[in-house]
Amino acid sequence: MEDVNFVKNIFYSPRKSKRTIDEKIEKAMKGWDKNGIDTEKRMNEAKKFTKTGSKVVQPEDCISLLETVIRSGDNVTIEGDNQKQADFLAMCLTKVDPAKINNLHMVQSCLALPEHLEVFKKGIASEVDFCYSGPVATDLADMVMEGKIKIGAIHTYVELFSRMYLDLQPKICLVAAAAADKYGNLYTGFNTEETPALIEAAKFRKGIVIVQVNEIVDKVPRVDVPGDWVDFVIPTEDPYYIEPLFTRDPALITESQIFIGMLSLVGIYSKYKINTLNHGIGFNTAAIELLLPTFGEEMGFKGKICTHWALNPHPTMIPAIESGWVETMMPFGSEVGMENYIMSKPDIFPIGPDGTMRSNRVMGQLAGHYAIDAFFGSTLQIDQYGNSAAATAGRIPGFGGAPNMACNAPGRKHPSEGWLKASREDGMRKDLIGPIDRGRKLVIQMVETFGEGMAPVFVEKLDAFDLQKQANFPIPPIMIYADNITHIVTEEGIAYVHKCKTLKERMDAIKAVSGYTPLGLTADDSKTQKLRKEGVVALPEDLNLSFNEAKRSKLAAKSMADLVKWSDGLYQAPTRFRNW
Amino acid sequence: MRINWNELQEKSFYQATARERANGIVDDGTFKEFLGPRDKMVSPHLIILGEAVEYDDGMTAGVGKIGKHPVFVISQEGKFVGGALGEVNGAKMSYTLKLAIDCYDAMKEKYGKVPDDRKPIVVVSYDSGGVRLHEANAGLVAHSECMECMWKLQNKVPNISIIGSSLGAYGAQGFVCLSADVVLANDYGRIGLTGPDVIQQEVGKDEFDASDRALIWRTMGARSKYILGDVNFLLKDSIKEFRDKIVAMSDLPMSEISKYRHLGSEELVEENLNVVKIAGREKINDSKDLWKYYGNENVDELPELPQEEFLKVVKRRPRGL
Repeated sequence: MEDVNFVKNIFYSPRKSKRTIDEKIEKAMKGWDKNGIDTEKRMNEAKKFTKTGSKVVQPEDCISLLETVIRSGDNVTIEGDNQKQADFLAMCLTKVDPAKINNLHMVQSCLALPEHLEVFKKGIASEVDFCYSGPVATDLADMVMEGKIKIGAIHTYVELFSRMYLDLQPKICLVAAAAADKYGNLYTGFNTEETPALIEAAKFRKGIVIVQVNEIVDKVPRVDVPGDWVDFVIPTEDPYYIEPLFTRDPALITESQIFIGMLSLVGIYSKYKINTLNHGIGFNTAAIELLLPTFGEEMGFKGKICTHWALNPHPTMIPAIESGWVETMMPFGSEVGMENYIMSKPDIFPIGPDGTMRSNRVMGQLAGHYAIDAFFGSTLQIDQYGNSAAATAGRIPGFGGAPNMACNAPGRKHPSEGWLKASREDGMRKDLIGPIDRGRKLVIQMVETFGEGMAPVFVEKLDAFDLQKQANFPIPPIMIYADNITHIVTEEGIAYVHKCKTLKERMDAIKAVSGYTPLGLTADDSKTQKLRKEGVVALPEDLNLSFNEAKRSKLAAKSMADLVKWSDGLYQAPTRFRNW
Repeated sequence: MRINWNELQEKSFYQATARERANGIVDDGTFKEFLGPRDKMVSPHLIILGEAVEYDDGMTAGVGKIGKHPVFVISQEGKFVGGALGEVNGAKMSYTLKLAIDCYDAMKEKYGKVPDDRKPIVVVSYDSGGVRLHEANAGLVAHSECMECMWKLQNKVPNISIIGSSLGAYGAQGFVCLSADVVLANDYGRIGLTGPDVIQQEVGKDEFDASDRALIWRTMGARSKYILGDVNFLLKDSIKEFRDKIVAMSDLPMSEISKYRHLGSEELVEENLNVVKIAGREKINDSKDLWKYYGNENVDELPELPQEEFLKVVKRRPRGL
């Protein structure tokens, strides 16, 4: 009988256990549950917004609900990343009375909507800790200079999520879900992303969780977040906003990007046998995805590279998936229009018992940190040492998730061929830790030497330093530090910068692939020749490739319509990407 | 750059450059360009404004042959200043049209009549937003000169419009292209007077959402224009498809070709006004309503169908009504 009681104790639900809590513990709790008592008080005041036995609040009551449960100075998290937005709650938060509620400390992964800045303009919030602010980068910089907003710190995704469990605990959690029942059980579906992580951070610190939902249903397709972690659900008229952030139209891929893709496939992917990888956002990586079924197959790379992806399920992957290149993909979020296609490929995507996908931003980012051999990305500026940044004077775009993936994972212990090869080639390793095999993630920057508006990508000094001065940041907003980069690929060739033995040598290797940028023009030809001989720099002819071969006809899909065709009509291109 | 004509034939018309389109439409190796990039005739206005120029001012114009026909080709490059017409490229366009008229008149004078299998042909491949605002007056003058030439071409020289590039034909080019005898398009083609962004700016996002590209295409796109009759032939997206269609029409007598016209007579004006009347009377809010009016049932599917199937099931506005 003792065993049965033991099991019972373990499986008691939290509510029940509170009622039956040991008297002795309850006595000892006095003075140690201020947070819980405060929340209970707020929840009692908010009872008028719900009917008994239901957590549903009508959307027209949302502003008063927020004014009832939020107190000045609270830590508030609002869901909004680079894809999914709790936009209704963001709008309601701008409408609360700043005389009643002010000085909120916002902890949110993204500043993306105008409403996210509006709460600061109106004085409702005063401080923010965040990761990414691309869509409002200019406005944010202006507000920082004017002193209208105080930035705690700019983080990367997992960095901020983990701080929400330690020193930035949210008292109020405002998130979005696809559907809920009246008990608060949530279906977050394809775009589950970070919703459960935010809710857990708040709920298990006695926080209050408010969820905007696209619809209230009798029974959710599956429970992504259990109802007792949720306090209020609000059905909204319009579904929450999702940005098709990762979708790239193949029609816009240039031959120069195709050439960089070919160089990378021959000079990096196949040389290091890259099987586990992440691709950043951009046309360079989209070009590579579309070269796999054509150029990749011609070169005999199929099955040897690119099998496991920490990547969002974006449409330029469809031809590679259909051609049998991909074994699994682990998504951070979903991608608008891909839902039906994803459902048709349960071997590749994480599909729940209900048949729809569940994405997971935290585990996706961790896979991107620990489980991949290579990160391939792009950037706006690279300095003479190899540091890169997307921040320029007058713009604060933040970081997002790239630095979590575009860095070596020194804690990693599981070996793979490419990971060991990169470390054995490392020119500085022996001098740091002795002749020990330790492994190294490949971090590859693929850039055209001149970027948008013909601005040189290679510069002596990053604009990020100007921004640091302007905004008075303690550290410069550098996206990826030079010592994390292993390769830089441009249309001029590949620099294997991790092979360099000194900083001086690395600077020469970078110059060798910087083309006609002011930095590239200072390259010393005799040094470049020496680096080529040593295998630190590879020009296209060293890889038996020529720009004349880089033709758009090599792309497996040349337009959005081609992608729809590859998917057999299952991919539904968002209206902004259509030209039919 | 050397152009391989055979490779060009298979190339997507939509993705081809202006020069590739011009070379691919006429017989292999017959295209002679007027004021090509080597002549470096650039826009003087853009230089004053400190803007980038191109040595062909964003247009390839010239003459080539299809069989025994001299074919005057004008091909706009949307990638340079939105393909918009300014002083230099405008003059290239109007003078090429003028040459076609001169060619016809010279043949007539010399031989008494112009045989059907030798008559000159005009082909214009549109890819333009209209007037180049940096040189607005010069652009407007060029448009009026082109229109004048197009009326002179009427009933003499077949005038064929191709709407198959990324920008379509907008602004003044929208009505210039419809002044031709025949309009050919692929699925990506668009024809309009006012561009989507300007419409949104003037009447608001609720009335016209310029980011909703499905809305743009079903309002201004080739399939809708095909149902309404503004586009005469809807073709697959390759240079060969367009060339083959032009080759097939080239020997037809002028009277046959003129039957495809949309403008140029009192009856045709009446016909166009009638469509406007129907739109008002039937309270048309969306192109789909109009498609339905002309007998289409599966209006939601029409934009999604593969082209062959679309052509099989679609019902078009009957001509002359």
